[in-house]
Amino acid sequence: MNPLLAESIYWHFPILLVVVSLIYSATRFEDWPSIMSEALSWGSRMAGFLATIGIVLYVVSTYF
Amino acid sequence: MSNATAPHVPSPEKMDPSGAFLSFVVPGLGQILQGRIGKGLLFFVGVYSLFFYGQFLGQWQNVYFGDTASEAQKNWSWPRLLVNLYNRPQYAGQFWVGAAAWPAAYHYWADPPTESPQHRNAIAQPEKMNWLQRTQYAIPEDRLNELQRDGDKRWDLGWVYTVIAGVLNVLVIYDALAGPAFGRDGKGKPA
Repeated sequence: MNPLLAESIYWHFPILLVVVSLIYSATRFEDWPSIMSEALSWGSRMAGFLATIGIVLYVVSTYF
Repeated sequence: MSNATAPHVPSPEKMDPSGAFLSFVVPGLGQILQGRIGKGLLFFVGVYSLFFYGQFLGQWQNVYFGDTASEAQKNWSWPRLLVNLYNRPQYAGQFWVGAAAWPAAYHYWADPPTESPQHRNAIAQPEKMNWLQRTQYAIPEDRLNELQRDGDKRWDLGWVYTVIAGVLNVLVIYDALAGPAFGRDGKGKPA
């Protein structure tokens, strides 16, 4: 099985991303559209950052 | 001279220490009692989800605080509490999640030193312990090593989640203290 799909601690990250994005955003705004927009923005950036690191480590460990 | 296009920036809210304290005890409770029920429920569900999920990943044994000062550390000039926080800094973050982490504080004050025979004997007989005694008691080092060795990194990932939940609740406490946030453009109304 592809190691990225196997049971892994990385599957526990989504709850962290969702909760941190929502709570941080809710401490900066009061209205729900602004909270959701900010949470989506933060969640995307954190997911992208983590995915980039994951892909780099996967490539390095597989091909080097 | 007034500027008609300038955004309306509300005047600062009066500080609410009692709301902040309530949000420290139970995440979001201060906001709920301030009438910001939606945000309060979001904080309650979010912080507790992360905290209890982290405990679940750590087999419910990664939130604790014990008297672990070694013989050498007893000669340090630091207060004993700081020495034990030095040995278990995670609890300095977990503490801020509020009442959900208080059993660990109870054990710190009520239990004998973590590596003592009395403590080891007590935790070896969980059937004789009540709910509070079974919850968040300090773990001796050999048991800790077993958890880390056998846990496939989940034990460590779990404490990271519980610490993040505690630190997030600091933001929640400040939100309850300072009142509604209005964002960059001064817009926004209580959710």
